[in-house]
Amino acid sequence: MKGNMLAMNKLRVFNMAFLALAASIVIASCGSKSSPGWEYARNMYDPIAYNPDQPNKNFKDGKTAQLPPANTTPVGGFDKLEESYPNTLEGYEAAGKNMSNPLPVTTETLEQGKSLYLNMCSQCHGLNGAGDGAIVKMQKFPPPPSYATGTSSRGGAMKDLTDGKIFHTITYGVNLMGPHRYQLTPNERWKIVMYVHELQKLQ
Amino acid sequence: MRSISLFSRSVVRTLILFLSLNLIGLSVTFAQSAAEGAALFKQKCTSCHALNQKVVGPALKGVHERREEAWLLKWIKNSQAMIAAGDPEAVKIYNEYNQSAMTAFPELSDDNIKSILAYIKEEGDKPAAAAAGAGAAGGEAKTEEVSNLMISGIILLIIISFLVILVLNRVITTLDKLFKKKQGIEEEEEAKVAKPSFNEQVKAFTKNKKKVFFVVLILLGVLSVVAWMGMWNTGVHQGYQPVQPIKFSHQLHAGTNQISCQYCHGGAFKSKNASIPSLNVCMNCHNYVQAREKYNGEISPEIAKIYQALDYNPDTKVYGENPKPVEWIRIHNLPDLAYFNHAQHVQVAGIQCQKCHGPIQNMEEVYQYAPLTMKWCINCHKETEVNHKGNAYYDKLIAAHEQLKKGGKVTAAVLGGLECGKCHY
Repeated sequence: MKGNMLAMNKLRVFNMAFLALAASIVIASCGSKSSPGWEYARNMYDPIAYNPDQPNKNFKDGKTAQLPPANTTPVGGFDKLEESYPNTLEGYEAAGKNMSNPLPVTTETLEQGKSLYLNMCSQCHGLNGAGDGAIVKMQKFPPPPSYATGTSSRGGAMKDLTDGKIFHTITYGVNLMGPHRYQLTPNERWKIVMYVHELQKLQ
Repeated sequence: MRSISLFSRSVVRTLILFLSLNLIGLSVTFAQSAAEGAALFKQKCTSCHALNQKVVGPALKGVHERREEAWLLKWIKNSQAMIAAGDPEAVKIYNEYNQSAMTAFPELSDDNIKSILAYIKEEGDKPAAAAAGAGAAGGEAKTEEVSNLMISGIILLIIISFLVILVLNRVITTLDKLFKKKQGIEEEEEAKVAKPSFNEQVKAFTKNKKKVFFVVLILLGVLSVVAWMGMWNTGVHQGYQPVQPIKFSHQLHAGTNQISCQYCHGGAFKSKNASIPSLNVCMNCHNYVQAREKYNGEISPEIAKIYQALDYNPDTKVYGENPKPVEWIRIHNLPDLAYFNHAQHVQVAGIQCQKCHGPIQNMEEVYQYAPLTMKWCINCHKETEVNHKGNAYYDKLIAAHEQLKKGGKVTAAVLGGLECGKCHY
């Protein structure tokens, strides 16, 4: 009698354990990370118009975010550099001669230039423009020349680079540096040029 | 005779000494020049050249075998002059690299260039290091496999132990039955008394109203808790971590490499959307960075996905005509009925990205950190103090208040009522 009860209890415990395991598996599979979970009224999340990151059947390449059509005017005017100063050595030299910073040098613009420089340039060029940024220090990327002591690959010392030359380089890139005109507006580039001039003075 | 042999001996000795000294000297100068070459190579060449990889210019490994030294000296000092003079090899390579001119280095002396070449030769002859690197990478992969094996092993052990318990239970019950059989009829009678049919059990249970009430109460309680929690969590995507088309690691880029968030997500600072970076931003670095050392000299498969999407050929460095967008899966998704502006929070309020997005620099795969519920927004808006200094909007507001205090009129125009966006948004 006693033995029987014991066996029954064991069976029950076993059944319970099995049920618990099954339940936990079911619950775990419900709370999967790869699904956003329960949703009610999904249509309230999706706009009637398209989100920029949504697929779009109306365009050939299936994207919603399209490049502006040819001959459209961007807000804030043109970045006419491409026509006047092409991405060639002659364009670079011409930009160096003819372009100058249209923004006034004030503490405010310099501060903005510094902040932009730290966010957009310092990874490679280093906090003080010595060509020792975080990525360079880890030897993941070859070092760019120092603004103060290096020599430019297009001739001359880095510390003698003029407004236009720096602007041209940020715009089109040079050697291993990529073009940054898609990430920075002309005004932002001019602010960075201003701060780079400060870094050129460091010795 | 003797004197002659003595003389010849001394001559031989001095000769040997001279030669050996010379050899030592040579090897020393070679090592020195290679070291000097390494410094020069890093200073002058690495912005366009790498040893094992085509960058802006060709890979330089084995260049001393491909070309004559005299040709190289001339080329490095002034390549454009050679092209202008019509040197066939020079013109060929100039055209091969889309007519991008190599910088002239008139400041380098012949010895400088020779030491750079010595460095290239020395580095090029080092296949062992690369192999060792590959071996290390292989080892890493192995440890990962081992950990996977351990996990599956543990799961297998658990299953086996369950099976053992099951079998043992069976054995116990059969033994029990045998034991009972030996005892005889007693057990059968007991079984008859102890085991009423299932239907009878249910009937007996339904007659006991207290028991029924108790069970229904518990069921109701559990169900209402589940329903309550389910309703609160409906539409809350906290912890959502979908698998992205490219295994981009924020832990590597923002954490280890310390690349600022703004570099890629520039929109967060100046527009409503934080913006997913377009592939040209990736290419600013991955034009060069290909992580070949981790994949036995092959391009990392994840970086190759960028090239594939751009229809870019890393060998010829030419972009094709059929780029395809990478279909990233959006994680943070506010309902369209809520307006949220990144620039207002990042630029004006100066809030760190991590405040809402969590420790993004530690995330190998990004997940939604904050619940993004209305309660969560409101709680933060209740606590956060407004920094009104240097903000023209608040200056105007304060000026309007001053005007009111003095008993003046404040029109809608003073409060920005003439701005386009007030009506046309």
